[in-house]
Amino acid sequence: MGADCAWDLADSGGVVTKKRKLRWLSRAVSFFRNVTGRQKDELDIAAEVSAHLDLLIEEKLRSGMKPDEAERAAQIELGGVEQVKEQVRDARTGEWLDALARDCRFALRISRKNSGFTAIVVLTLALGIAANTTVLSWISATLLNPIPGVAHTRDLVTVDRGDRSGYATPPFSYPDLRDLSERTQTFAGLLGYHDDYMSLTGVAKPERIYGALTTANYFDLLGVRPILGRTFLPEEGTPRGGSAVIVIGYAVWQNHFAGDPQIVGKTIQINRHPYTVIGVAPRDFTGCKTGLRTDLWIPLLMDRDVWGSNRPDYRGVVWLNALGKLRAGVTKNQAEAELNLLMQGIVERFPEDHRDRSNEISLDPLWRSPFGINGYLYKILPMLLGLAGVLLLLACANVASLLLVRSVGRRREIAIRQGMGASRKQIIRQFLIESLLLGLLGGTAAIAITVWTSRSLIAFFPPSSLPLTNDAHVDQRVLFVTIAVSVLGAIIFGILPALRSSSTPVQSVLKEEATSVSLTLHKSRLLSGLVVAQISLSLVLLVCAGLFTRSLQKAQQSDPGFEANHLLLASYELSPAGYTRATGVAFNRQVLDRLSALPGVESVTLADFSPLSFSIHSDYLQIEGYVPQPHEWMEISRAIVGPNYFRTLRTSVISGREFTEADSPESQLVAVVNQAFVDRYWPGGNAIGKQVTDGRDRFTIVGVAHNAKYRLLTSPTEPVIYLPMYQAFRPTQDTTIHLRTTGDPRTIAPSVEETIHQLNRELPLFNVNPLSVTMQLGTLFGRVAATFAGSFGLLAMLLAAVGIYGVVAYSTRQRAREIGIRMALGAEKGGIYRLVLDQGLRLILAGLVVGTALAVAFTRLLKAQLFGVSETDAITFASVGLLLAVVALVACHIPARRATRVDPMVALRHE
Amino acid sequence: MSPEQTNLLQGTLDMVILKALRLGEMHGLGISRRIEQISQGTFVVKSGSLFPALRRMQEEGWISSAWGESETNRRAKYYRLTKAGVKQLEEETAKWERIVLGISRTLEAS
Repeated sequence: MGADCAWDLADSGGVVTKKRKLRWLSRAVSFFRNVTGRQKDELDIAAEVSAHLDLLIEEKLRSGMKPDEAERAAQIELGGVEQVKEQVRDARTGEWLDALARDCRFALRISRKNSGFTAIVVLTLALGIAANTTVLSWISATLLNPIPGVAHTRDLVTVDRGDRSGYATPPFSYPDLRDLSERTQTFAGLLGYHDDYMSLTGVAKPERIYGALTTANYFDLLGVRPILGRTFLPEEGTPRGGSAVIVIGYAVWQNHFAGDPQIVGKTIQINRHPYTVIGVAPRDFTGCKTGLRTDLWIPLLMDRDVWGSNRPDYRGVVWLNALGKLRAGVTKNQAEAELNLLMQGIVERFPEDHRDRSNEISLDPLWRSPFGINGYLYKILPMLLGLAGVLLLLACANVASLLLVRSVGRRREIAIRQGMGASRKQIIRQFLIESLLLGLLGGTAAIAITVWTSRSLIAFFPPSSLPLTNDAHVDQRVLFVTIAVSVLGAIIFGILPALRSSSTPVQSVLKEEATSVSLTLHKSRLLSGLVVAQISLSLVLLVCAGLFTRSLQKAQQSDPGFEANHLLLASYELSPAGYTRATGVAFNRQVLDRLSALPGVESVTLADFSPLSFSIHSDYLQIEGYVPQPHEWMEISRAIVGPNYFRTLRTSVISGREFTEADSPESQLVAVVNQAFVDRYWPGGNAIGKQVTDGRDRFTIVGVAHNAKYRLLTSPTEPVIYLPMYQAFRPTQDTTIHLRTTGDPRTIAPSVEETIHQLNRELPLFNVNPLSVTMQLGTLFGRVAATFAGSFGLLAMLLAAVGIYGVVAYSTRQRAREIGIRMALGAEKGGIYRLVLDQGLRLILAGLVVGTALAVAFTRLLKAQLFGVSETDAITFASVGLLLAVVALVACHIPARRATRVDPMVALRHE
Repeated sequence: MSPEQTNLLQGTLDMVILKALRLGEMHGLGISRRIEQISQGTFVVKSGSLFPALRRMQEEGWISSAWGESETNRRAKYYRLTKAGVKQLEEETAKWERIVLGISRTLEAS
């Protein structure tokens, strides 16, 4: 009958419960005694076992054995003093805790003793983990926490309408959004907002602050409670009931009103209109568009006062972003279907107002909302996290190979422990605890690194006209994942060496010489596999890095259609300063006159946007001779530019002419279009003389310009229409000076500011920067990807090189005797060199082959993010492979050279 | 180990030890020999099983121990049954008898 046939002797009945309780009490007392009275207990066990042995010997003697015979027999019957003691210890309650403490102490001692080894492993892990936690801290701050200050965003969705291939523009008119939110059954509420710069006036130094016009339910729907005062009342959102009230952000309250506790009820000026402050928003809350900071909130129907327009009155004017809160139990698809149905009804009732744009409504969770920064980040950050994950895997493989090599040196120690009665389970536990210690040390170091690197995303943002914000930091989520990753990583890199070293039979280790054991290791498939894994993973990362870098280069080298160097930009806004259309045009004329007279200025012009900074506007156009498809999106990029714009930007005019001083409100209304416009709407035809209307005015085309990119360098050129500044000027939009200089554009900035100041003392000039700086925004995401993929790739290559060096150097050292014999038998140095190098070369080649296969599979995922390079770009693959091969060969060359210097006599005597 | 000797069924070692201690306090070797004697050599309890079992049962509160002197004036640790141990022995015995009865019926059937 086998001992493993266990019987289920489970009790049943109520008596047991009481007894169990007593038993637990007894065990708890024992546990406490075992944990506290450790030393006394040890002595007790030892005394009992040795007393037992004495009794046994005495018994044998009495039965007539000779003393030495009796002792031997007693020993055999007992079965080993240490083993019995160990078995008793295992039976103790709370033994696991004790064993754990012992293993931890031992692990600490081991890592202190090998401080060099520990440092390398911890550094490797720290870098691998930090790469992940850095990216994660960004994901946490943007995709997972889309509205700072609002904890529950899972039931919130952004509402978009129309063609999704273009740039996301606000989807709704006020009447449409109002109708939708009154009728919807699937949403607990729909809020609308329009964000733009406002000017805080009536203070010593007027300042532009990004603010939002919102529906009255804005704060209530988001669940944001003011820290002072109140938010909007429902009646403050009704037509004509819109009152001049404002909620200010915490930063505005602190910076402009010194945290005045009496601020509620006071009057402040926005765009020269008085508003009563009714509340202060909490510190964290900066609006609901991820990545953009809003600091002022005004009821939407105050639009007339703030911007002097009547946008809320028109069903055809789309200017509002919408956010909805789904009712409990409603899915996104149900809500989408319902909104589409409602929208269809609205379109049928007002077909005139809904012709220009597709009326298809789509909902997005906030993490991939097309509005704000998440629309870009949700494609890049998970990809970077994937790359960081590969790096971590590589770091684990690296550490595993180091531990494996080291475990050979510990074979004897392990064999002795086994001889002393340690079970396989105990050995594995010991190894895993050591790995865990290394993992947690690495994790701690990674947190320290991440505290610093999490802020690095903001460093990629150039000075720009957008109020970009990013508050990535090490939060709870990041901490939790770091710990989890450290533990998981420790198990991954610790389990292989643990299993391997615990499985060797004791006798073979104790009998054989250390070298012969390691001879089996240098042929070990496991170790070779780890090296191959490191090389192939680093190839994957290097290929990704190479592709991103080339893609960025291509983008930066691509012709944007204008000449960015030697251009200074500076902006001002005329409407808050009290200018009208007529006085504004006059002021702009003066600005151009004065600035063109400055020394060092080649030419100067004005525009209502600047290239590659997401600031170009758009308009709905009807184009002569072009019949739009039903619901074709006819919102086209529209630039309002001054005389000499094309000359100053060095964008060539292909046919016709560019704008001059003569294009004034009194003359014929004219326009210039770009080549892409002509190709799209008048393919093959002549554009000059054709007409275009925005519904109000009719413009005659007088010129065709070369294509220029104004949004992202990496997106295809799109149609653009240019209108002359003096005819189409709108004081409510920023005016940006474009100044071409002969020297460094920065040096002329002070005299530009001085000139504007002379013209109007009250007018603030903002965003004074060279174009070459601000246009960095156009490659922001490409630079983030290239920089991080690049550093991951270099790190990976370094790790792989250290990995292969370590393994080849180690096995060469262990083969010293073999090499000595070979040399003693007359092998030449070249032969020895090749012998060692061959080993490395095989691993490198295998790594390159596996890595190429992996990379081909992996880079397919990057396709959408690449510009101008194929995801299987042969040049990248070849050059990266070559680079890696050379670095790895150099890593093998060092031990190979050392092998040729082996002195046969020393090597043989060493045994 | 002679062919007649048999390993104790898992879970029955405790019962056998408790039974041996029923007769009075005893040291480890005594318990071992006592079991051999009453089972007429069927069961041999090895030290590696005996001492962990004693330890465990002590922690359960079924037995208690104290250092004392053997009949030959040697120091030895003596074990005795506690009240809980007596109760445990009764329960285990009853349970065991139920099992034996059940198995016998099963084997006799057919």
